Amino acid sequence: MKNRVLWSVVLTVLLAFLGFAMVACQESGTKEIKIADMDCLSGSNADAGIQDLNGAQLAVDDINAAGGIKALGGAKLKLVAVDMTSDPKNAASTAERVFSTEKVVAAKCPGISGIALPMLPIAEKAQVPVICNSINDQITGQGYKYTFQIAPHGSQFGNAQVQFLKWLNEKYKLGIKDVAVVYENSGYGVSTAGGVKDFVTKGGFNLVLYESYPHGFTDASSLVTKVKASKAQALFPVAYTTDAKLIISTMNQMNVHPVVVGGGAGFIWPAFFTELGPAANGFVSVASWNWDSKAMSSKPELAAITERYQKRFGAFMGEHAGPSYVAIRMFADAMEQTKSSDSKKIRDYLATYNNSGLIGGMMQPGTIKIDSTGFNGVVHPVMIQWQDNLPRTVYPEVDASRSYMPPKK
Amino acid sequence: MNPTIFLQTTLNGLMTGGVYALVAVGLTLIFGVMKIVNFAQGEFVMLAMYVSWMLATFAHIGPYPGLLIVGAVMFGLGYAAFKFLIVRVIGKPDEAFILLTLGLSIVLQNLVLVIFGAEYFSIDTPIKDEAFHMGGLSLSVPRLIAFLVALLMVAGLSILLNRTDLGRAMRATAESREVATLLGINPIRCFTIAFAVGIVLAGAAGVLLTPMFYVFPGVGTLFNLTAFVVVVLGGMGSVTGALLGGLIIGIVEALSSTYISLDLSQLFTFLIFLAVLFIRPSGLFGGAAK
Amino acid sequence: MNPKRAKLLPLALLAVVLAIPVFVHVPYYLHICFMIFLFATMGMGWNLIGGYGAQLSLGHSVFFAIGAYTSVLFVVYKSLTPLVGGLVGMALAVVASVIIGLPCFRLLGPYFALATIASGEITRTLLLHFKDFTAGANGVPIPFHGTNPLFLQFNSKAPYYYLALAMLVVVASIMRLMEKAKIGRYLAAIREDQQAAESLGVKSSQIKMIAFMLSAAIVAACGALYAFTVGYIDPDSVASVNLSIEIAVVVIVGGIGTLWGPVLGAAVVVLLTELTNMFLGGLRGGANLVLYGTLLIVVILLKPEGLISFFNKFRPKQGVDKTQIAHGTHA
Repeated sequence: MKNRVLWSVVLTVLLAFLGFAMVACQESGTKEIKIADMDCLSGSNADAGIQDLNGAQLAVDDINAAGGIKALGGAKLKLVAVDMTSDPKNAASTAERVFSTEKVVAAKCPGISGIALPMLPIAEKAQVPVICNSINDQITGQGYKYTFQIAPHGSQFGNAQVQFLKWLNEKYKLGIKDVAVVYENSGYGVSTAGGVKDFVTKGGFNLVLYESYPHGFTDASSLVTKVKASKAQALFPVAYTTDAKLIISTMNQMNVHPVVVGGGAGFIWPAFFTELGPAANGFVSVASWNWDSKAMSSKPELAAITERYQKRFGAFMGEHAGPSYVAIRMFADAMEQTKSSDSKKIRDYLATYNNSGLIGGMMQPGTIKIDSTGFNGVVHPVMIQWQDNLPRTVYPEVDASRSYMPPKK
Repeated sequence: MNPTIFLQTTLNGLMTGGVYALVAVGLTLIFGVMKIVNFAQGEFVMLAMYVSWMLATFAHIGPYPGLLIVGAVMFGLGYAAFKFLIVRVIGKPDEAFILLTLGLSIVLQNLVLVIFGAEYFSIDTPIKDEAFHMGGLSLSVPRLIAFLVALLMVAGLSILLNRTDLGRAMRATAESREVATLLGINPIRCFTIAFAVGIVLAGAAGVLLTPMFYVFPGVGTLFNLTAFVVVVLGGMGSVTGALLGGLIIGIVEALSSTYISLDLSQLFTFLIFLAVLFIRPSGLFGGAAK
Repeated sequence: MNPKRAKLLPLALLAVVLAIPVFVHVPYYLHICFMIFLFATMGMGWNLIGGYGAQLSLGHSVFFAIGAYTSVLFVVYKSLTPLVGGLVGMALAVVASVIIGLPCFRLLGPYFALATIASGEITRTLLLHFKDFTAGANGVPIPFHGTNPLFLQFNSKAPYYYLALAMLVVVASIMRLMEKAKIGRYLAAIREDQQAAESLGVKSSQIKMIAFMLSAAIVAACGALYAFTVGYIDPDSVASVNLSIEIAVVVIVGGIGTLWGPVLGAAVVVLLTELTNMFLGGLRGGANLVLYGTLLIVVILLKPEGLISFFNKFRPKQGVDKTQIAHGTHA
């Protein structure tokens, strides 16, 4: 008797689950076009992921406020925020779920490469175009037709940093020869560090230290001791916010003061200033995007975007939020031009995307041009310096909106 | 080999070792008395850090003044954990407590994640960035304090265990429950106190760590593994062993970081761990070989 | 239920499961089933040493990682099909199991668990460190260039579903055969009382070693299949302590030391994870792990034989009840 009851309960639960799932599969509205924003909204990468979401949400709201997709009768966009977590296994399952059960026409893929990579084959099989603002070279290095990447490749970062250091040496006669590179042993760190190493040696500098440290380490004293021992005059650290802060405060504690040229990420997000306060001013870092690059700040409509962002989210538009905004804009543009919300047509339009107007103007140096691999081949990283509590673009000259301020000796 | 760098590295190692010892001491007490390895010890350290952070942020009580409050809170948590969960696995096969404390560590860590989010919090204390400088060497003040407190705790715990009736009762219970009962000692009461004190020690470690480390849900796991290694190295149940073990591991980590590679320093910790397990499982000061 | 019907039940279940992809085309549901089969298979493998062999291993991610990385790197460096690469991975995993098992088996309970955790972390550290060879934290993606069965590349989810199901059926059959064979009885004896078994002539370290080796091979094969289904691996996703714990939890929740326990456990854990992600996903994250940890605690305290014990009426009596042996509650 007891077992029959048990079996009936089990079967009912299973059927209920299936029934619910099938209902959940149904389409919601008719005049809404869904775009997925797939980002790390929880776990260790959440601080970056939330910036991505904010940028995408602002774009959707801006587009809808201006009348939606006019070519489709003013259809409104709906952003489906998806938490990809910070674990690649969960990211894969989540991507499967979203592409299977939500009728999205396009997706913005995570700004963290380790979470973006697992979802690309799933998007390819589901034939949904995705635009990535993560920097791993392999994103557009695998031949996927539905993957696009608008941020610079990690391998380009090193070049920017080295060129900047050379420029500093020439202009300010700093005489820096010995460079130390330390990087976090995570996807981001490894993607950029190799490139940095190459460019440092090719640029005529002495690489006196090239060291990775464990992601999420809690004690930087060994690292700083090694930097001190190497007698490096310049340090290129690649780190997220907490590591960046730990390294800097440990260097202060141990009286180790090389010229720091940050590797992006933790060195340029709003949290860097929240953690260090005005002591952040003067720090230099490479960035995949900055809010005040010349192309953006010279066009009033674009500058207004960053102001709206600041007002709404209480922080400046950071490195993740900007390209996220651009991605949504590109999808909308594709739909306007092809007069369709068909995923394949959107994909085909993006494959030859070439814009120097209001959309292209948002990515430095002012143009977006997608090449045959799906990568925005004309983009390059910029160098920022914290001035007046904000990161300002100072190099290369074509993108700079402020001059570099050398440290007071 | 540059002598300054070597000295600095050793100094770093000693200080870090003191921190490890702090976390390990509670673990070894619990094991010594109840033969239970608390896989959630690191999570209690983490909880104490959050309590400390909340005191600092909302009540403006700094970590050092707040030590007593946190200690009381941790005693309560330890007592509750014991009464509701741990007591049920005493006497059961090993898997029971391993999996119970493992489950507890997962629940605690993620409960904190759900409630507080994944953000890294930090406390501002005036001495946070302070350091003593002498002859090219630098010594971080919060670390020094943690080191000294670790020494004090080890001393205090030793006195408790060896010189007080309670301590003697706990040691008797550890040796043989049956005989202890015959002597009129209540073993469950001893276990409860041992566990609660072990958690209080974890709490103290947490408070002392807050000026140095970020407060985030995963901070406990960083210490869990190292604490186990320290306890095995020092000898399960030996309080002095935990201190010495901590210092040794701290120095080995620091030396391997500086002279070999930062990435691999954890590897050396584990290799030592495995070596101890095979060569001398009772550790440096372990009593009964297990 | 009479014994004849009890024997037909698994076959009926198999028929239903074989038919599912014919009717269900949503890739996500097939993906869930795939994960259930995968974890059930790994659980069965773990059970050999953790359940029957009574050595609680929290380091099985080592074998998963070896299987995944070997098969993937063979494709990357030698363009060799994972059907071969996977076999090599299984062989390497077996070697690893000997290296870990030989010294560690004489360690008791928590020490063994700690040692296996240490081996897991060592593996992860090594994978991260030798980045020139393994790509380290960057991970290795397996680009999808269209259907290629030799490299386990399929456009639809159904072939992966069947592969995982096939693996589960094969492993379950092996388990069934082992239970009845001498080695199964030896393991049961060791489980109940290792010293007594040894006094009767059972070479416990040899038997446990065989169980461990087989367990490693099974988990490695699963690692290889996982790598090609998901298309991306990195040290944190295949060599983490959490994965090791998850494999153990699947078995413990389902029923340690039983044949069907891992299957039930896998279904419960995977569905729980997916349901919580679906409903609470937008929330902070971690909610599914809270439930999962609580489930573990509840099972340990209230039902240590696992959830399968609710279905005990269906199992034909085989003399000694293994679940009771597993937990020392046997009279």
